[in-house]
Amino acid sequence: MTDQLVFMLQLIITGIAVGGVYSLMALGFVLIYKASSVVNFGPGELVLFGAYVSWATILHMRFPLYVALPLTLVIAIALGLVIERGVLRPLIGQPIISVIMVTFGVASVIRGFLNMTWGSDTRPFPVLFSPEPFHLGPVPVSPVHLWSFVVVMALLAAFSVFFRFSLTGMAMRATADNQQVALSLGVSVKRVFALSWCIATVVSALGGIILGSVRGGVDFSLADLGLKVFPVVILGGLDSVPGAIIGGVLIGVLENLSGGYLDPIMGGGVKEVAPFVALVIILMLRPYGLFGKVEIERV
Amino acid sequence: MNCAYHPRTLFLLAGLLVASLGVVRAEAQPTIKLGNLVDLTGPTSDQGKDIAQGRTDAVQYFNERGGINGKKIELVSVEYGFQPPRAVAAYKKFVEDDKVLLVLGYGTPDTEALRPYISKDKMPYVSGSYSGHLTDPRQTPYNFPGGIDYTSQIRIFLNYVKETWTDTSRKPRVAFIFADNAYGRAPIEAGRQYAKEIGVDLVDEEVIPTVLTDATSQLLTMKKKDPDFAYINTNTQWVPVVLKDSYKLGLKVKYMVNNYGIDERTPKLAVEAAEGVMGIQDVAYWGENVPGMKTLMEFHQKHHPNDTHASPYMRGWLWVIMTVEAIKRAGPSPTGESVKKALESLKDFDTWGLTPPFTYTSEDHRPTNRARLVMIKDGKIVQMREVSVERDMKWIGK
Amino acid sequence: MKCGGFRVSYRGDERIFDTAAPIVVLAMLFVVLALVPRFGGTYWLDVLNRIGIAIIGALGLNILVGYTGQISIGHAAFLAVGAYSTAILEAKAGLPFYLAIPGAALLTSLFGLVFGIPSLRLKGLYLAIATLAAHFITTYVIVHWESMTNGVLGFNVAPATLFGRPLDSDARIFYLIFALVVPAALFTKNLFRTRVGRAFIAIRDRDVAAGVMGVSLFKYKLLAFVISSFYAGVAGGLMAHHSRILFPDAFTLLVAIDYLAMIIIGGMGSILGSIFGAVFMILLPEVLKLTATSLTGVYPQAFGLIASTRDVVFGLAVIFFLMYEPQGLARIWGRVKSYWTLWPYSY
Repeated sequence: MTDQLVFMLQLIITGIAVGGVYSLMALGFVLIYKASSVVNFGPGELVLFGAYVSWATILHMRFPLYVALPLTLVIAIALGLVIERGVLRPLIGQPIISVIMVTFGVASVIRGFLNMTWGSDTRPFPVLFSPEPFHLGPVPVSPVHLWSFVVVMALLAAFSVFFRFSLTGMAMRATADNQQVALSLGVSVKRVFALSWCIATVVSALGGIILGSVRGGVDFSLADLGLKVFPVVILGGLDSVPGAIIGGVLIGVLENLSGGYLDPIMGGGVKEVAPFVALVIILMLRPYGLFGKVEIERV
Repeated sequence: MNCAYHPRTLFLLAGLLVASLGVVRAEAQPTIKLGNLVDLTGPTSDQGKDIAQGRTDAVQYFNERGGINGKKIELVSVEYGFQPPRAVAAYKKFVEDDKVLLVLGYGTPDTEALRPYISKDKMPYVSGSYSGHLTDPRQTPYNFPGGIDYTSQIRIFLNYVKETWTDTSRKPRVAFIFADNAYGRAPIEAGRQYAKEIGVDLVDEEVIPTVLTDATSQLLTMKKKDPDFAYINTNTQWVPVVLKDSYKLGLKVKYMVNNYGIDERTPKLAVEAAEGVMGIQDVAYWGENVPGMKTLMEFHQKHHPNDTHASPYMRGWLWVIMTVEAIKRAGPSPTGESVKKALESLKDFDTWGLTPPFTYTSEDHRPTNRARLVMIKDGKIVQMREVSVERDMKWIGK
Repeated sequence: MKCGGFRVSYRGDERIFDTAAPIVVLAMLFVVLALVPRFGGTYWLDVLNRIGIAIIGALGLNILVGYTGQISIGHAAFLAVGAYSTAILEAKAGLPFYLAIPGAALLTSLFGLVFGIPSLRLKGLYLAIATLAAHFITTYVIVHWESMTNGVLGFNVAPATLFGRPLDSDARIFYLIFALVVPAALFTKNLFRTRVGRAFIAIRDRDVAAGVMGVSLFKYKLLAFVISSFYAGVAGGLMAHHSRILFPDAFTLLVAIDYLAMIIIGGMGSILGSIFGAVFMILLPEVLKLTATSLTGVYPQAFGLIASTRDVVFGLAVIFFLMYEPQGLARIWGRVKSYWTLWPYSY
């Protein structure tokens, strides 16, 4: 294989691997939006929460893995319930700007709370996966990235089945479609909202665990990744689960390709801004993304 | 009308708030005020915390022994999150409101940005920034970097490359990986020139964001140019990311990291990716066998035995030690100018063994040209040998 | 005795103040403000200056978000464009500040025009996300267009000179800033007494109906962006002269969120709200700092907790106001005033 081709392949595969993590975060976002039309502008902080709590349970309190991981997820569920019940429930029906701002507020509180409790040092993350890369042809891939991709795919399958065939899943879809009608048919909309937030926090916590493993440490910059969710969900469609997955991978690849090819020309930083340029282009051409529902009003 | 709370309660609360603001600092006897800038929440906060603790502890230590010439030292501290605008605001406050005698500065972006004001205000400024741009008294007479400057460090790296290169068929190839801010960029231009001078091939430069999550694409680009050595100029929080990504990609590059990029925690964070990585050590590590370490450890034992400390803590002490000495030498009524001259009178000053002896002169604000080369072996930092560069006046201020 | 809003003519309806009392109070306030620089410490002058700048910025954002209902998270980008344009116009084109700041504000309006265009096609959430992207793209350009902006190294701004005297201290800049705050507030108030302002409000409340009534959505939405960014441009220019070194770091997304918080906590669609919100957001970290510093004697760790406490308090404040008082401090103030005016009656 020629050098150029190998270079491009490496970028693409790394992009897919990194994109897997983006997909996880986007999944959390989409689930909330799908069920309750609430936009969470603090996805990064949810991921951060998951990363710190898992770090705390594994390294700080030294629980064995099979206790610590489920414990983290349980705590994440609790967080989801608190947010939904305490903050979002009273705001049902308020204009969207209020909902957006309240999620910023929640994100701020989570961040401040984590900082107060555990400080902002970088904490080494427990090693859950072997660091030895294995090779996909000429391209080295670290097991962490592979596992995150596997987890994401598994979740995609699980959620597709869940939404299509299970009663609760259908209830969630019904609520997303039309709350009034769902209510009239006996769906407990309150329960659906709570459930959607809990799933979102759990998924974000998983994302946090994976991100922590990828980086080898947890610190507050993890939250900055959260904003990358937006290009992903716009590309994939705000309410589409497969869209979140595919969007995540595509954005990851786009990032790496633009980083690899454009950074040397433009002096760095293109990698970070490329997803947002893509976002603007998509919004202009096809705002619902690849799989989203066509429902945006135009002027 | 649905009133969820009574307006009178509001007034009461407002009154309490105003009253609490009236908790005025009591008028105290004259103290020596030092401005103190730290980052406790930003991209260098892992070091900032230790530095802040070190400074506070050192000040407390000296105050317990009567302060300087009988006056107690007072630290006026501002946390600025490594955001230059907040540093500028804090500096204004230090100069105009608190009327500090000297500022213990912190980061390169803000220290470099404040240069014109520091010179105009004649404010001695001891900085955590070791940027080469602060070392020329003709341009920045009041800036005193608190350690071996970054330009000297990059020269140490390039000298090392030249010395250990045995292949006579070609020149050694190096790359620079640096953070996208004034700190990361500080020594790069000088590095370029010096590499050319001594016959080392600079084949690639990679810019990484200040807050780094993934360096893969930059490293892949660097890999194309196939450097033998690479110099990393960013902070301890982000170096492990570069190292891990490099490890994952199987790169065979030998890395050297600057003093702020490597410390006792790096092996734990980067684990196997850190093996064989070299670094420049400017200050003693925690527990190292130097004369001053005993004092620091006793203090730590007495006041906060449960904390852990890494080398930034030592730096905090170091800068206070040299500041105290200079102010002492400036006499009973120190001014900005007299303290500056006192700092420049420090010759072979013993910093309790925490660093090689410091010498500032009125022509050269580089405190030292010596450092130690370290390497990470078996998960620990191992000291290899002492290195030094010539105090070549050509590189002053660059 | 007049009860409630008692208007007998169109002229009276349009009046800003019904009685002489508020005018007297305002006059006294201005006198106090004019005297502050003589007696105030530099630190608090700096705080007041930042409040003044924030008021102008918040007024602008309120026009766009509070009155016209267009969600924008890109305000930091507009401030940045205003600040850097001012600095560049002065440094590279040699313009004096009284030309540079308006010039920069005009440039920022053009910028706002460009970013207003998506608002024609996108609503609510999508517009918010588009402005988010605009923010990142703008920041990227500012950081990397180093030949113009000096990137991360910072751009030094020479002090403005007025009649040969440099405005290089907080006390002097104070007058400039507040000399602009007053017209800004007045202009905003007047704006909403005209048909343009009413068109904005109509768009916010029911844009389809407004369109049916003959309000040109195209024209007025863009106008809202243009006017709002003009304010941001002025505020940015003042920022350039206040801090005199510009860094891209001063214009992060958090700044945009802070401004949104200002108008939410202060009160959307209200001028008084913009002012209250600006004061609240700027004073909050200061109060926390004071509390922490006075606590440091007792509890040394307090100093390190300031930043995280600020995050928590900020988040809780936003949540609290959104849940219990969505119309913000302005509404609370209105309630307090009527309580005092009407006591012992309750309405």
